[in-house]
Amino acid sequence: MKRWTGILACTWLLLSGLVSAAEVKVGSITPLSGKLSVYGEGFQQAMLLALEEVNAEGGIKGSPMRIVFEDNNSAAAGSVSAIQKLITIDKLPILFGPAASSNYLAVCPIAQQNKTILIAAESAAAEISKCGSYNFRVFPSDALQGIGVAELTHALKFDQVVLTYINNDWGVGLAEIFKKKFLESGGKILDDFAHDEGKTDYRSEVLRVRKSNPKAVVNLTYIKEGATILKQAYESDVKTQWLMGSASKSPKLIELAGEAAEGVIGTYPTFSQETPQYQAFKAAWEKKYPDKKIPVFGEYNYDMVKLTAKALRLAKSMSPEDLRQAMIEAGKGYAGVTGDKTFDANGDVGAVYGRWTVKQQAIQDYK
Amino acid sequence: MSYYLQLLLNGVIAGSVYALFAVGLTLVYGVFRFINFSHGELITWGAYLTLMFYTPPFSWPLFLSAIPAMALTAVIGFSQDFFIYRPLRRGNPITLLIASIGLSYMLRNAVRFIWGSDLRTFDFPPARGMEFGGYYVTGIQLLMLAAAVFFLAILYLGLTRTLWGKSLRATADNLELAAIMGISMPRVSASVWILASVFAAAGGILLALDTNLEPVMGATNLIKAFAAVLLGGAGNVWGALLGGLFIGIAENLGVAFFSPGYKDLVAFALIFLLLLFRPRGLFGLLTGVR
Repeated sequence: MKRWTGILACTWLLLSGLVSAAEVKVGSITPLSGKLSVYGEGFQQAMLLALEEVNAEGGIKGSPMRIVFEDNNSAAAGSVSAIQKLITIDKLPILFGPAASSNYLAVCPIAQQNKTILIAAESAAAEISKCGSYNFRVFPSDALQGIGVAELTHALKFDQVVLTYINNDWGVGLAEIFKKKFLESGGKILDDFAHDEGKTDYRSEVLRVRKSNPKAVVNLTYIKEGATILKQAYESDVKTQWLMGSASKSPKLIELAGEAAEGVIGTYPTFSQETPQYQAFKAAWEKKYPDKKIPVFGEYNYDMVKLTAKALRLAKSMSPEDLRQAMIEAGKGYAGVTGDKTFDANGDVGAVYGRWTVKQQAIQDYK
Repeated sequence: MSYYLQLLLNGVIAGSVYALFAVGLTLVYGVFRFINFSHGELITWGAYLTLMFYTPPFSWPLFLSAIPAMALTAVIGFSQDFFIYRPLRRGNPITLLIASIGLSYMLRNAVRFIWGSDLRTFDFPPARGMEFGGYYVTGIQLLMLAAAVFFLAILYLGLTRTLWGKSLRATADNLELAAIMGISMPRVSASVWILASVFAAAGGILLALDTNLEPVMGATNLIKAFAAVLLGGAGNVWGALLGGLFIGIAENLGVAFFSPGYKDLVAFALIFLLLLFRPRGLFGLLTGVR
């Protein structure tokens, strides 16, 4: 009995090896369950859209490309098991990293050690620039966004603010850069405190805001937390100008907070929606997912897959070094949906920052 | 001063919902001597089932939706016991514990499967809170407080004034002796599960009304219920009630002194300290449903 199982297992391994040899596989660590799954489904849909296009254009040198998705339960521990599986069992040379900088930072040393290319499409922590030579990201670093929010605050002539941020690598890093830049430009921070991720009750935090009676509050947080805070501040009649970052910019924020989201102003890394690339992406999205809005960071996920496909086509071989060179080569002057993707020495890209606001229950550009 | 009083008020309201969760958890522990990890999922299911009856195709008014939702949650709670815990009861307590963890994953993912993992809301427009001399309270917060008082009052009367309450307390004291004395075990166990489920569902609905629904809402609040149960002494209903209030107040007042980013610290630190120094709980008069 045991022998038969052994033989069966061997045949299966052999067969699956043969089948997959015809495909070019890359891996993706995606939050399909857990607290970030609000975003995860959208990331996946954007990646699949890009993948479909890559394969329609003839795949990678004639072979179809495939993405192996691994769920990480939105947590660092889950991300580590996912990357271990993708590297040791699936042996994939290129991986798309998990969302949330804390999760990304948990896996990037593993990728570096195993000489596996890891690409970020939505992790913004400045810290990520130090991940190593196999690390790339198509999303701009917070070092840029922190400065962006500080400049916004300054431009709106708020020189005294309360600062609150989500208590994780992303929030803390962003807050630090904001603080540094804001204080340098002569601003004053009346109170600053972190708030926990995933709570349903932020009333005490709101009270702490109210205590300083600030004209403006800089709230660097996500959608759900942001919406709850806005709603509970509205309930207790806190009148202040809320300034937020890019991670809260979503129609979901308005759906959850309703009237309370009205008037929020924020920054976000932007790109022109007039380019032919964006128009083509938008048309393709609407064709594939007719009743779904383009998700947060969907464009970055799309660019990531397209750029990776380009690198795979350029690569001389599948060796880590050749792939790394091909990534850098592919990025040079690459005009994606989200703009120029030329990688700097840290594997980072540049950014342009725009301003958003909520007006009549819709997200609009702030002018 | 008014700042602290408002924090206290918020704490009492948050605490009354924790108490609703904790009472059911401790009741199950008191009678069956095991911690039901899937208690959190009853919270989630209560909230999602209400959403189901509240939205199309049913579109019932909220109060009407809550009733079948609580009833269905009770059915889930009862079936947990009937199909899984009862056959395992004679075995090792660890088996029950692991079964309950497994069940919790299953129920949580069933929510994801049916309703998706996206955030959902009841779509109530946010309303300015009512102001009482500088203190703000929203209608939903008042409802939370009222519902907690209502359910706990029913529990109090039930436990102290009825034959059912007496048999429940006797069972908690000594399961075998109670059975020998002719107390119907199936009836007692059914009532414990129904009570625990209805309380969890009620708490879940209130929590969802106040903010939103997501598949992990029960699991994240379960830890607070654990702390409350430990604080009151496992198995002690009144202890759990006070424990819930205590945790709600402690974590909300804590915000005045340290960064709210570490709010959960209060609940976790309390668990550690109590396990180390007062394993029978602060209000641990004696174990059992008292």
